[in-house]
Amino acid sequence: MPNHDVLVIGAGLAGQRAALAAAEAGVSVGIISKVHPVRSHSNAAQGGINAALNEDDSWESHAFDTIKGSDYLADQHAVEIMTRAAPEELLHLEHLGVTFHRNEKGELGTRAFGGASAARTYYVADITGQAIMHVLYEQLMKHSEDVERYEEYFTSELALDDDGQCVGAVCRNIKDGSMELFGAKAVILATGGNGQVWKPTTNALICTGDGIAMAYRAGAKLMDMEMVQYHPTTLAGKGFLITEGARGEGAHLLNAKGERFMERYAPNKMELASRDVVSRAEQTEINEGRGFPDGTVALDITVVPRKRIHEALREIVLVGKDFAGVDITREPIHIKPGNHYTMGGVKTDVEGRTEVPGLYAAGEVACVSVHGGNRLGANSLLDTLIFGRRSGVDAAERAKGRGPARPSKRTLDAEEAKIADLIGREKGSGRRVSEIKLELGQTMDGKVAVFREAEGLNEALETVKRLQEEAKTCYVDDHGTVFNQDVLGAIELDFMLDNAEATCVAAIHRTESRGAQFRTDFPERNDEEWLKHIDLLLKDGASEISYSNVTLTQWEPQERTY
Amino acid sequence: MSEFKLKVRRFKPEEGDGPYWESFKVDLEPTLSVLDGLLQAKDREDGSLSVRCSCRAAICGSCGVKINGQSTLACKTMLEDAQHEADRTSANGKPAEIVVEPMGNMPVLKDLVTDMESTHWAKIRRVTPWLIPDGPPPEGEYIVPPESMIDVTQSMACIQCGACVSSCLSMEADPDFIGPAALAKAYRFAGDPRDGQAEERLHDLANDPHGIYDCTHCFSCIDACPKGVAPMDQIMRLRRMAGDEFKIDDHNNGYRHETAFTKIIEKKGTLDESLLLQESLAPGVKGKLIPRPGAIKGLLESIPTAIRGLRTGKMRSLPKLIPGVHPKLPDGAQDQVKKIYAHSEEHHYELNLYIRGEEADDEAPVPEAEAIPEAAIVPEPDESEAGQ
Amino acid sequence: MSYWPGCVSRGFTTELHGSMALVAERLGIELVELDRANCCGAGVIAEHNQELADTLNARTFALAQQEGLPMMNICSTCQGAQSECQQRLDADSAYRAHVNETLADEGLTYDPEGFSNKNFLWVLVEDYGLDRLEKLITRPLNGLRVGPFYGCYILRPKHRLGYGEHPDRDLYLDRLIKTLGGEVVEYDGARKCCGFPVITMAREVSLRQSGTHVGDALDAGADCLVTPCPLCHLNLDMQQPEAAKVVGRELGLAVLHLPQLVGLALGFEPKQLGMKRHIASTKWVEQRLQPVPA
Repeated sequence: MPNHDVLVIGAGLAGQRAALAAAEAGVSVGIISKVHPVRSHSNAAQGGINAALNEDDSWESHAFDTIKGSDYLADQHAVEIMTRAAPEELLHLEHLGVTFHRNEKGELGTRAFGGASAARTYYVADITGQAIMHVLYEQLMKHSEDVERYEEYFTSELALDDDGQCVGAVCRNIKDGSMELFGAKAVILATGGNGQVWKPTTNALICTGDGIAMAYRAGAKLMDMEMVQYHPTTLAGKGFLITEGARGEGAHLLNAKGERFMERYAPNKMELASRDVVSRAEQTEINEGRGFPDGTVALDITVVPRKRIHEALREIVLVGKDFAGVDITREPIHIKPGNHYTMGGVKTDVEGRTEVPGLYAAGEVACVSVHGGNRLGANSLLDTLIFGRRSGVDAAERAKGRGPARPSKRTLDAEEAKIADLIGREKGSGRRVSEIKLELGQTMDGKVAVFREAEGLNEALETVKRLQEEAKTCYVDDHGTVFNQDVLGAIELDFMLDNAEATCVAAIHRTESRGAQFRTDFPERNDEEWLKHIDLLLKDGASEISYSNVTLTQWEPQERTY
Repeated sequence: MSEFKLKVRRFKPEEGDGPYWESFKVDLEPTLSVLDGLLQAKDREDGSLSVRCSCRAAICGSCGVKINGQSTLACKTMLEDAQHEADRTSANGKPAEIVVEPMGNMPVLKDLVTDMESTHWAKIRRVTPWLIPDGPPPEGEYIVPPESMIDVTQSMACIQCGACVSSCLSMEADPDFIGPAALAKAYRFAGDPRDGQAEERLHDLANDPHGIYDCTHCFSCIDACPKGVAPMDQIMRLRRMAGDEFKIDDHNNGYRHETAFTKIIEKKGTLDESLLLQESLAPGVKGKLIPRPGAIKGLLESIPTAIRGLRTGKMRSLPKLIPGVHPKLPDGAQDQVKKIYAHSEEHHYELNLYIRGEEADDEAPVPEAEAIPEAAIVPEPDESEAGQ
Repeated sequence: MSYWPGCVSRGFTTELHGSMALVAERLGIELVELDRANCCGAGVIAEHNQELADTLNARTFALAQQEGLPMMNICSTCQGAQSECQQRLDADSAYRAHVNETLADEGLTYDPEGFSNKNFLWVLVEDYGLDRLEKLITRPLNGLRVGPFYGCYILRPKHRLGYGEHPDRDLYLDRLIKTLGGEVVEYDGARKCCGFPVITMAREVSLRQSGTHVGDALDAGADCLVTPCPLCHLNLDMQQPEAAKVVGRELGLAVLHLPQLVGLALGFEPKQLGMKRHIASTKWVEQRLQPVPA
């Protein structure tokens, strides 16, 4: 049984940062990932990372923009921590070797981003997430003696001791199908979001909400699960992301009549209003018949000088060319709002601690909450790094005072039995995993998206519950041991359904409109009743709802205009 | 919707049989990708078909495969393009199936899944793949020329998909060759002004028999790379740095070969092969042989070839074997070549199209799309409230 | 055409130079040899100093332009090395001006407008026309089994070598063999590397490549190989006995230069085409040829 002081599950930015921080604190660290770490979805963060580093900028301004962007649902003490720590973290990354864009003097240069009152987004062309993650992986290779990597290990369950403390996890070695029980004095979940619950989505196929579901099952609370970000510029049909950096560089949004419609919705910030605002504006144009026949509006990047496009938006040039057959330097590209980010997740404090002792969460899997009802562009990378680091440090502290963890073999046996049952099902005994996933994704995108109302949400929840039943009898074709992705897909389906259920329950419950949750039946923000988080706890197989206060420090909620 | 046939190379390690081919019919929009096709086959027909994949958008680097023999990403190859290529290259000129195979130069674990650890990652680690600055970092950021960061970002754009390794013809002949991905990664540090170990890195890679001079210059990696990293270009820049900047006289004769070649053209204008052989193995003027380790062996090894050449008349005559007898360019042309040398050696300008961009990109944006003047936008704050 | 034969065809593989002259005459292509032009650098000079390589090749282009004729080469390596330089020269007018300044002394200037530089293979297929060639054939190759060996430098990278406009350039050799009456042998190495660029640096790796390709072609039943690149020829033919030692098997496969294969079909005799100069015996090929009808 592999045993570590700190076990990190997930090796995107949050996980890698947590592992490095814990190792620096001098404890033994293991990091597990179901894909090779550099395949993690942090790669997809194109636009940049926010930090108030310039002299004429301030962390307060960054914090205010974040809080306003969150529609006042973010916890302000957490936002303060994040925005204050941002400049130092950014410089740390620069010192490690991230190839950040420079201005003419050779200093770090910025670009503008949505919902921000200053140009404070630092970037590497439009591969910022990839660049940072590959540099962190370089550091993992450098510190291979301190951090053991378990690459292509799939975690299916957390191990709890009799006191309900998290003491490890059960994983399947994807390469040979063997199941292993990992012991740890602290476990950090860094498994990312749940975008695959929706179809289409900008998210990778691996973003199946594993950590959210596992923590929920282990007794941790989930928070803000109704807050699901639809990104304003995703490629029609395939759901691929076109970075907000495009609008940051000056690109326009046009409806089918050629009107720059954001004038009507956000006359000051125009295309750079916060994402929920822009997505709703686009969806309104589309719904009211001013979109294109394919249910899209257009993003016109041709207004950006071509040379600048080729320097700063290279990836988007490729995405346009390879996936839409469009030369974005010469013609507008059709886009629409698409599922993008999970603001909610496993409820944590500012050290990443969940309600389960010994279990931490950081990054998109977690909800601290720094994003509240809507995350600002270029704050997600920051969130992963700041709270990844803090989780790593705190988990290491926790581990230092403890004896070795002894997770019970019962957890391992139960997981092995689960997989044996799955593989043992007859072909045709139920539906195919892929069919259930497709129905789930389409249901969620149809009914739990930009505009929501009670009837659709309830229908979605009913569908999810039916699919949960159907998942119990679904079957897999692959009965082998080596790289059996079929079995993993079935386990992921269970995770996705738990995520979907929690999202529906919370979205039904919040009878107001705030941030990404827009209820056409309750179109107003209602601070009187709803300036609070919805917390969910799994009890006897059902979601128990409770509330927690939003922490306000120095920013009183006000009307939100862009 | 159109129908496509994917012919997939499969391998199930548990069954003890060798690899086999299986064809899948898929029904998809032609602009969807080969990965979409594989996933449809997996979803509808056979869930045991294994392929690594995640982002579907050519950023995660999971789905490196060979399609119709070309190493690439399955998600980045449109079905219609793959079909067109299959038809174009089919031997009998008839419509063909799209052929999908696991990457080359790597052991196959299952179906399209290869073992990248032993063949790719182990080599990446071989180039000490992290920044090693001189001394502690500055208080603020490192101040570096803006172009230098764009330059190394070309290598940073690598997503470690392994397509270049899969296509590498040197690695096919020498499995120990460090390879295009790892060497592009090496340039990412050697070319980074913040790194303090460029010379040590280059010294190591130049002297390694499987290092920068083991690249056979076949350009396969440039065509395979889905991200424009152009690994071979980076290898050539490593050579340029090693030889030209640091004058690293390597054990592989790389630097001597390059120097000898360059000098001969300065002297003669065209290549004098015999002189090249002598100069690159044992540089010096006729009779003043200064052999270096391995040089004698190199010269001896070339003798059988030379004698055979003489016998068949391939090497025109004896003069072809006597270094230095090769004629110069006529009528003062050689002096012009020498002038070019003098001029270029003085400037030594390296035009980097990744930084400069193609000139066509300098043109101004289309006029009618010019930004709407701020004054023309009437603020209507009442309508701007989110959620109204 | 402005004709740049390349160093190797005038050095180690004079039979290429000679056979090209014969074939061009028969085809009615007038070749104006650029005898003041310099080596393309073969990618090696660019490793040393990129500006130097670019300027040297700009000089060759300018010399060709001075003749007022499109440029033709008979060496894949020249094509590749020159196309690489041309890409940079064409992409940036400021850089081009800088390079032209160096050339001014000789009264030369390179202007991308209307300039073209093509390998003989491309000229044959794209400009001359295989139909037209077919009409001149006096001795069809009679099912001679020919393995094409393209050479990397006219195959890759595609974006630099005009594949956007001419996507089938990687099939021309196959088409040409068929036009000449031969049969194309499918084997693994047709579009792989001969290994020549590393012959002085990694000899064994180099010879393993050439030896493997020759062996594969033999196994596939080839009577000979044909290549448009004299450097490939050096490694496939001249080094063949050495390569055989490295791959540990008997080889012995004739490797023809592109103009030689064309020349045979046009009725020239092997001896006229310098085939006796080859290291790997061409006897087998000769035996399989029909006599030229009187």
